[in-house]
Amino acid sequence: MSDATKSSKTFDVGDLIPGGAYIHRLSALMTLLLLVVGFALSSQAFFSINNGLTILLQTSVIGLLGIGMTMVIITGGIDLSVGSVLALSGVVSALAVKAGLPVVPAMGCGVLAGAACGAFNGLVITRLRIPPFVATLGMMLIARGLALQITGAVPISGLGNAFGILGNGALFRMVEMRPNGFPKVIFPGIPYPAILLLIVAIAGAYLLHRRQIGRHIIATGSNEEASRLSGVRVDRTKLYAYTISGALAGLAGNVLMSRLVTAQPSEGVMYELDAIAAAVIGGASLSGGVGTISGTMIGAFIIGILRNGLNMSGVSAFIQQIVIGLVVIGAVWIDQIRNRP
Amino acid sequence: MSQTPLVAMIDIEKHFGGIRAVDHVSVDLHEGEVVGLLGHNGAGKSCLMRILSGAMAPSGGEIRIKGEAVHFSEPNDARDMGVETIYQTLALADHLDAPANLFLGRELKTRFGNLDDKAMLKAAREVLARLNPNFKNLHDPVSSLSGGQRQVIAIARAIYFDTKVLIMDEPTAALGPSETAMVAGLIKELRSAGIGIFLVSHDIHDVFDLCDRVVVMNKGRLVGSHHIDEVSKDDVLSLIVKGELPADWSARNLKAAQ
Ligand SMILES: Nc1ncnc2c1ncn2[C@@H]1O[C@H](COP(=O)(O)OP(=O)(O)O)[C@@H](O)[C@H]1O
Ligand SMILES: [Mg+2]
Repeated sequence: MSDATKSSKTFDVGDLIPGGAYIHRLSALMTLLLLVVGFALSSQAFFSINNGLTILLQTSVIGLLGIGMTMVIITGGIDLSVGSVLALSGVVSALAVKAGLPVVPAMGCGVLAGAACGAFNGLVITRLRIPPFVATLGMMLIARGLALQITGAVPISGLGNAFGILGNGALFRMVEMRPNGFPKVIFPGIPYPAILLLIVAIAGAYLLHRRQIGRHIIATGSNEEASRLSGVRVDRTKLYAYTISGALAGLAGNVLMSRLVTAQPSEGVMYELDAIAAAVIGGASLSGGVGTISGTMIGAFIIGILRNGLNMSGVSAFIQQIVIGLVVIGAVWIDQIRNRP
Repeated sequence: MSQTPLVAMIDIEKHFGGIRAVDHVSVDLHEGEVVGLLGHNGAGKSCLMRILSGAMAPSGGEIRIKGEAVHFSEPNDARDMGVETIYQTLALADHLDAPANLFLGRELKTRFGNLDDKAMLKAAREVLARLNPNFKNLHDPVSSLSGGQRQVIAIARAIYFDTKVLIMDEPTAALGPSETAMVAGLIKELRSAGIGIFLVSHDIHDVFDLCDRVVVMNKGRLVGSHHIDEVSKDDVLSLIVKGELPADWSARNLKAAQ
């Protein structure tokens, strides 16, 4: 009976997924530590508070996308549209601000636009029976095209200070005025995007492991036909997962555009690959049924730190692409090995 | 057996393109009756049962439960009427553990709508122990369990809820002798509780001792429905293989009475 009480209290999924997943997550965590140590040794600037904040900001976007991607991947699908949906959502938010809406409802419009794109993905996949790869590839073009069309491919700037708070503000930021009139930052604070990521990650893990819909997401990816026979509304479950992925892409878009205080319709190209890589590195299986939010968070930090560290060490953008490409292939390869009978 | 049958399947048809998987089949099932559904692999048994469990839409025909026409568009509709199914494929989600599978699609929830894993574990422990006292690894994903244990979960899931009609599609296929005996005991127990059971098999020895009646399918058609006393194993074998009774057949129990 002792394990009964344990399982009902912990948030963790240890008792829901194979032990191999634990090992996978542990090795991902070790990789993360190795990366941090390696980059810290190779570059002085890497291990500074400021750079840490930069990493947090970069990772929060990948992380938000990764959480939605994890849900979709667990159902056995894939969402290639998140990078484009991110851009479209940011543009919608900016247009709403320009139209006179206050910042918070305006950003809400952006998130809703993202959710609508996700719902469209879900409907195409479940109603028209189009494979997720193709359906979301279509949305990738549709959302990008929409974002470029409604802005005329011109970034929207002049959005006001309030629009920049989500991406640039921080909690507990302490600034002291020095006698010479210049401010001195005592504690840079915890950036809002990092807090947002933490909240969304906790909510995502809660949804996945404590709610019925989460259990159905895992069941659907594990064995779709069995789930259907067991009374799981498989189509509705998938629709839910894609809608969440779209909404979180919208949220990530708002964070990113707020950071720049400019809506860039061409932002977020290839971000879907970072999100997929984060989920897979964190132990999600492209064949469905397996994946955790905590794993994806580790994966997101690995990608974020890899990009940042390579930058700091002066590695060219081209070489960075090659490295990330190899990492993605490596992660999927490990997934394949794990799934071999 | 003149009262309204628990289940009446009337003139059921199912086509896949040109294939007639189920061809104008009518069967019924009464309370506390075990009907053996026999036939070669591919005879259409699973299709007929999937239609009754709401997992497959028929091309034609009608289903009545206690005389009332019903329309099952998904498995939940059938489950709501007390029709539970043990599928030949078991229909388990491999990455979930036994309690999660047992309650899949009808999870227990707490007051706040969270999954009540504690209650589900407790219930699972009880019902599984009833079927197999050695069932201990309730936290393992079912993919790591033996074929017998997986079968036990599928059976437990079908009898835990308020079952009135039980469909068992080849329930002993993955079981060893002792587990098969357990299933036989269970069937007798459920029958005396008034549950109607369709027991599907392609092996007559499996079902002969347990059934009140045998129904035989051959190439999608119903070729015989007999009280178990009327026929011998050889008669049933002839129905399964040739689709007809031996030429010199007469009801066995009547013959004895003469
Ligand atoms: N989903 C399906 N699509 C096409 N043909 C099917 C499908 N399911 C069953 N069949 C065909 O219907 C026939 C009956 O199958 P089934 O009911 O599974 O037989 P049984 O359970 O008696 O072995 C077979 O010829 C089979 O190939
Ligand atoms: Mg069959």
